[in-house]
Amino acid sequence: MMPLSESLRKTRLEDLALFGGERLFETPKSTSNLVRPDFRRFLDYSRVFHSQHHYTNNGPLVRLLETRLASFHGSRHCVAFCSGFWALAVAMKLVALPGRSEVVMPSLTYRRMADLAAWVRLKPRFCDVEETTLAPSAAMVEPCINPDTALILGVHPIVNCCDVEGLQRLSAERGVPLLFDSVESVYETVPAGKVGAFGQAECFSLHASKLLNGFEGGYVTTNDPALARRLALSRGYGFEGESNVVLPHGLNAKLNEVHAAMALASLDDIDDQVARNRRRYVLYRDLLPAVPGIRLLQFDEKERTAYKNIVVELLENWPLTRAATLELLNAENILARAYYSPPLHRRSMAYPHVPADLPRTDRLAARFMLLPCGHFVTDDDIRTVVALLGFIQAHASAIAPRIATCMGARP
Amino acid sequence: MSSRGFAILGDAPMFGTPIPVGQLYFPSWERYTEAFRGIFERQYYTNQGPLTRILEERLQTFLGVRHAICVTNATIGLMMAADALELTGKVVLPSFTFIASAHSLTWAGLEPVFCDVDPQTHQIDTRRAGDLIDGGVSAIMAVNLWGGATDVAALSALAESAGIQLYFDSAHSFGCRIDGRPMGRFGRLEVFSFHATKILNATEGGCICTDDDDLAARLRNIRSSYGAGGPVQVVRTANGRMSEAQAAIALMSLDDFEANRDNNERLFRRYEEGLRDIPGMRLVHPRGVSHTNFQYLVCEIDESHFGLSRDALVEALRAENVLARRYFYPGIHRCIPYDQELSRYHDRLPVTDRLCATCVQLPIGALVSPSAVDQICDFLSRVRLRAREIQACAAGGAASGRADTTE
Repeated sequence: MMPLSESLRKTRLEDLALFGGERLFETPKSTSNLVRPDFRRFLDYSRVFHSQHHYTNNGPLVRLLETRLASFHGSRHCVAFCSGFWALAVAMKLVALPGRSEVVMPSLTYRRMADLAAWVRLKPRFCDVEETTLAPSAAMVEPCINPDTALILGVHPIVNCCDVEGLQRLSAERGVPLLFDSVESVYETVPAGKVGAFGQAECFSLHASKLLNGFEGGYVTTNDPALARRLALSRGYGFEGESNVVLPHGLNAKLNEVHAAMALASLDDIDDQVARNRRRYVLYRDLLPAVPGIRLLQFDEKERTAYKNIVVELLENWPLTRAATLELLNAENILARAYYSPPLHRRSMAYPHVPADLPRTDRLAARFMLLPCGHFVTDDDIRTVVALLGFIQAHASAIAPRIATCMGARP
Repeated sequence: MSSRGFAILGDAPMFGTPIPVGQLYFPSWERYTEAFRGIFERQYYTNQGPLTRILEERLQTFLGVRHAICVTNATIGLMMAADALELTGKVVLPSFTFIASAHSLTWAGLEPVFCDVDPQTHQIDTRRAGDLIDGGVSAIMAVNLWGGATDVAALSALAESAGIQLYFDSAHSFGCRIDGRPMGRFGRLEVFSFHATKILNATEGGCICTDDDDLAARLRNIRSSYGAGGPVQVVRTANGRMSEAQAAIALMSLDDFEANRDNNERLFRRYEEGLRDIPGMRLVHPRGVSHTNFQYLVCEIDESHFGLSRDALVEALRAENVLARRYFYPGIHRCIPYDQELSRYHDRLPVTDRLCATCVQLPIGALVSPSAVDQICDFLSRVRLRAREIQACAAGGAASGRADTTE
């Protein structure tokens, strides 16, 4: 194994890209998965739709993908969509209690989540998350429930899962439907079983940055046959057959066959991919303890997990601000990112929402960042990234004043 | 050619495999493989990738428009458009259109105001549109149908005098021209569809065209564009992105545009010839354009002269494996939820109601050979001879069938 220092090639402050040195990476190292499935498999699937001249509209590959994903998740039904965004929008619309106006969602989550609620005319009411899981729990959601609550959005964080059973109990007790955003938990299990069969429905993404790469795409799993039918109708304008509109407020949210071919090829590779992800994760886990002030969020290996995302916490003794740290890393072409920052309740919103005061979320939103992961990241890259963090930590007292000038000089 | 009987009456069908209405032009397997090999090498899959950027530039040149913003499909494009135009209250649109036009308004929180259409051209009736404009109306969404065009000049004048916005659902219009000018630059914006049933095929897809820089910036922010243009304030964002896979197919389709258009025209002319002397059958010619894409073959059936109802005809054609469609059917004002929530339109759209009861869409496109057109025309010329039997056979059935030709 190559020692850390050798992989870095930076010995002086001037070697840092932010201060004029050469970038560590020619190609960006991002936090997107960008997994590349086997090309021949993709072509084998493609041949099916190509030979049938069936390019979209519930084609053979979309149907196959839905069957395969339902069986993968252990859910009775799966409905594919053109994106996770519109999958979630349609599911929210169909699952929310009619006549009520609010959706409870965590503030520390996907940056477009409140916009999503606005598309389906629900008012977001933001809840806090647990310190230990970064996820909403029954205790966090319960105070937000009121007679206007139409829906609880249980969002799995990007490392490990939220308390599914607690949220299910709360949903049952209060009679408010529960929808899971499980975009980051495709492969995961929780004590109650495989993610994909809980709540009224669960939503997933097939975006290239996610575990399953379908270029763009998304899907919803559910055990409720009536809901599955309404989801499928909604994504195709509400049409049953060619000229029978049986559901109002449909749209076009169909997944095309090429994207389905890609998703199928990715699904074929998923176990191997997880093994590759685990190797990357274990390397981070082994190396990061050498850098004081940084804590890796560890996967709960009692459950099944995809080991996809690398999230670290900057502890009290980390010597720089997160913004400064990200600035240094990004300059090197290490596209590390702040974890869900700013949180949603801090963003300006021009649509109805419930203003929230969430000091815990504010605090948590300032502490975490994502490090490079996925298909483009090699073992050497990980060594280099960790070595750079070590270098930054060791020279922080000299870096801090220079970086303050750098960042201050920008408009 | 099979027997000259009628499948609906028990004879063998005219075609062994179903012929969809179209367009379904798609690159050969070799070109497809090559294009995707490139994507797998670049490993750039979506988020405004290199192919999407090239496609947008080529579309801008092809259409002579400042901004072509590619989207995942035209319906989501129309939804984004309503938001980007900052529309409020009500929007006037024809009811004789595909339901997605109205859906886009509903998703954007707007109320559709249904307008009747011209009986000859099937395009929105400008005079009636004028009568429908009141203080609550913020825009007209005109729909350019069948490769023809609405009366753009009159609509523009109307919108201007009323102080409201005008934009176009041009899902049918890619590559068409008005007085030599490519469509795409009219009104505040136009939305094209690149669905597989359209002449430009991205499997699913579309683009929004405008000359307005500020509007384009808002559209890009709503779509999410990863570096294309800076951030501007919009009410809400969405995912409207086109993937590299869609862009790759659209680029090949754009290369093939002239050839596919020419093929459409040959087939269209053949239909024109074959249908000329059939009483009670009127082929709808794209009007209001100097150049059309010939992507739709639509006929009006006058039952009293043709001898057979439109619905019975569609059923008889389907029995022959010709996947003819009632199109558009029903009118949007007769679909849920509008039939309930806006029931006042039930008796206000007589032309739309008549067209919805009499129009039939016939196959034209990649999977239609000239001889298939001849067979279909031959069928149409002799079907009236046994109209009574066929009508009786078809009486029970609505013309429903596989939904894979819906856009």
